[in-house]
Amino acid sequence: MTRISIDPVTRLEGHGKIEIFLDQAGDVENAYFQIPELRGFEKFCVGRLAEDMPNLTARICGVCPEAHHMAATKALDALFHVEPPPAARKLRELFYSIFFATDHTTHFYALGGPDFVMGPDAPKADRNILGVIKKVGRDVAGRVLKMRHDGHALIQMMGGRRVHPNWGLPGGVSRGIDEEQRQEILGRGREAVEFARFSLKLFDDIVLGNPAYVEMIRSEAFTHRTYDMGTVDEKGRVNFYDGRIRVTDPAGKEAFSYAPREYASYVAERVEPWTYLKFPYLRKVGWKGLVDGADSGVYKATPLSRLNASSGMATPLAQDEHDRMYSTLGGKPVHHTLATHWARLVELLYATERWVELASDPELTSPDVRVLPSAKPDEGVGCLEAPRGTLTHHYWTDERGVLTGVNLVVGTTNNYAPIALSVKKAAQALIHKGTVVTEGLLDRIEMAFRAYDPCFGCATHALPGETPFEVRVLDAQGRLVERLARNVP
Amino acid sequence: MTTLVVGLGNPLRGDDGVGPLVAEAFARSLPPGADVEVDEVPEGGLSLMERLVGYDEAILVDAVRSGQHPVGSVLRLEVDDFPTQHAASSHDLSLAAALSLAGSLGLRVPTRPPIVAVEVEQVMEFSADCTPEVRAALPTAVAALHVEWRRLLAERRRKEDP
Repeated sequence: MTRISIDPVTRLEGHGKIEIFLDQAGDVENAYFQIPELRGFEKFCVGRLAEDMPNLTARICGVCPEAHHMAATKALDALFHVEPPPAARKLRELFYSIFFATDHTTHFYALGGPDFVMGPDAPKADRNILGVIKKVGRDVAGRVLKMRHDGHALIQMMGGRRVHPNWGLPGGVSRGIDEEQRQEILGRGREAVEFARFSLKLFDDIVLGNPAYVEMIRSEAFTHRTYDMGTVDEKGRVNFYDGRIRVTDPAGKEAFSYAPREYASYVAERVEPWTYLKFPYLRKVGWKGLVDGADSGVYKATPLSRLNASSGMATPLAQDEHDRMYSTLGGKPVHHTLATHWARLVELLYATERWVELASDPELTSPDVRVLPSAKPDEGVGCLEAPRGTLTHHYWTDERGVLTGVNLVVGTTNNYAPIALSVKKAAQALIHKGTVVTEGLLDRIEMAFRAYDPCFGCATHALPGETPFEVRVLDAQGRLVERLARNVP
Repeated sequence: MTTLVVGLGNPLRGDDGVGPLVAEAFARSLPPGADVEVDEVPEGGLSLMERLVGYDEAILVDAVRSGQHPVGSVLRLEVDDFPTQHAASSHDLSLAAALSLAGSLGLRVPTRPPIVAVEVEQVMEFSADCTPEVRAALPTAVAALHVEWRRLLAERRRKEDP
């Protein structure tokens, strides 16, 4: 079998690589990510106090500490059998909405957006935030940085620390907010809504205004008809902080709906001999390999899948944008991977609207922000939507609250199989009968996986961003016939 | 004028935590009244650039895996020299790109912050400890920070009184 490797240089953050296997005829047979696994987290945690987990897991990686902090906090609620008071629940969701808005902003403008704003054919040197600024003006970058700055400042104000919050406790939070703080959060939230609307307008003008882009979004090369997963509220609408997990089939019909604590009955992990990555799949559908369709248990957990799996958005402006996206792309569900960027902006708008909605509630300033646990701890699952997919923390303790077991299913992990599908399709478009069209191969593969906003910081470690790539094309005898490199000295 | 010293890295990921460790040890070694602020940042890229806004002088300390030096070697690098663990972020812009973004927006940031880097080995396993070679490099790395700090002070004096 001929083997093509795309190697980000090893000295960076672990040596993730993409490998493409060709069959005897020289066509793409399989493609997968190989990412070095960050080892030993469970071992590191066992023997520690469960209450340390919100702070400990927030330090797994610097990309989404808030998501781990909050999932861990929710797992502690379940572990200690305690329900936070209404003000604490609202404060947590508010905090989480601010985080979500900040994270989605960064992804769209700094990571995913440049592919669109600059266009897929723009030189690589321009497909970054600097290129975006050249095209749309410096004030946009100023607005992006302001959005990030506001988000971080409010997260620090509520969470107590700049990067790693020390806030979540079983049964509530360590401190509430006063009226002045609530007004500040509300004011910045209103600006954030305007920023989100502006971002959707930008997407409209630049992407949707260009038929070539719309055609690319809808192209078969970037389409996978898989199951979709997302958390929904009691009315079936998208919720990031809490709810039931809903899974819809490739036709958009509900396949399963379950409480987070039941996750292990619905999600299983597939071990393949050729990689140490474990591929999560839907247990009740079964593993049929790296293929899409209703018979394959492969599912996606992305902004697009959250929208696909829901009945809609819980806020008015986001609902309008949700409707517009689906009517433009031919109705629900949409399986075009690149539409994930659009869905991410709809979620950005929802996060900011929810931020304002929650910050408008005078109950937020209630001093009643914690219920002290009194039951013996045993086992608890905490689940929420991280920007990159459904995040589950599962802890077991002895009766003193000392951890005896830990299992995490992190956002990106859910998407291992669909990412592999996307990379395979992107490669198929440019590799036929042993002929590798090198022009654009790296770009297509990068675009394919970037839509998932993959982050291996906690799953394992790191890939995209500006990570260098190296492509090696080897013939059947293992001789190097072609080498493609990006950002490699 | 305050000099900002930032330790980059994750203290729970073995040798990756060497940046924050060195920064902390440097803070303890400073003479009273030294106009230096010391902090730690877990990721490079935009977040690091944002932390640097408002300073003219900064020194970074980070882990590096070049494979070209014995583990525990202390190196002096510049932002565009060679990607250290966090100067080239995985999920973000590289520090060099983030700094040019800041420049193009007219933000006040140190343009070429020197990086004290420690060659490391184990960053893929959760652990609050460094390998012995890396731990042994702490005094040298702290001394290297002092050298960089003195160099910045001398440069500043030259500029003020040519």
